[in-house]
Amino acid sequence: MQGRTGESMGSQIILVVEDEVLIRMLVAEILRDKGYQVVEAACGDEGVAILLSGQVVDLIITDVRMPGQIDGVALATYSKTANPVRPVVIMSTHLPATDAAIADEFISKPYVPSMLLRAIDKLIGQPWHIPPRNQSVL
Amino acid sequence: MAYSTTQPVSIIIADSEVIIRNVLSDYLRQCGYKVINAASSDEVVEILVDGTASISVILSDSDLGGSMTAFSLRFWVREKRPDIEFVLAGNVDVAAKVAGELCDAGPHLKRPYDPQLVLAHIKQLLATARK
Repeated sequence: MQGRTGESMGSQIILVVEDEVLIRMLVAEILRDKGYQVVEAACGDEGVAILLSGQVVDLIITDVRMPGQIDGVALATYSKTANPVRPVVIMSTHLPATDAAIADEFISKPYVPSMLLRAIDKLIGQPWHIPPRNQSVL
Repeated sequence: MAYSTTQPVSIIIADSEVIIRNVLSDYLRQCGYKVINAASSDEVVEILVDGTASISVILSDSDLGGSMTAFSLRFWVREKRPDIEFVLAGNVDVAAKVAGELCDAGPHLKRPYDPQLVLAHIKQLLATARK
């Protein structure tokens, strides 16, 4: 999926679904620093609520194991059913290959921000640059 | 309380309702604030204990979920981080209950939020804190 024609860089909206608040906070900050708009959800149930609200989402980044009824794989499946071309990036420590297949990109934890930004760049065509302060391991 | 003139003021929006949390935080970001979303009282505590973010204001729904109620969180923040302004938001009945339990004339906001009212309230709080 390419960025939307006629819109400036950073106009893409990314939904970050992560139950670890410090990771969610850091990922969201990194993405906002890059110019993306970020919508945050603390679990899969909240992620679905955002998608159902009509919020435009161009890409989803989700953890797998989260509290609530909907985990990251179920969220990815729901998103693909609702919008098959919307990319989904799954971040997890371990994911069976059958589950990982639903994602456009799978990032194994722990990871550095450059891995995530590279995946986003690949999927929605954003140029990326990593400020040195963000080179910690998430 | 001293606020940097170069760094944006950091605000935690603590609300169990994800849509409200995101709409309000987006609005405040557009007004120049650095905003962190928290879905529960546990997340607020984790952010403060972590200490990475320099927080000036917490805006919390009075029905916030988590191990601590919003009222308990208010007391915890007051004890641990008295430098942080804590704003409880709720309906009229909840606000009255809050006022009774906190025994002070602390600032309260009504929900559903009026973003402009929230902004004006935060500006007023920060102006007062600077004096």
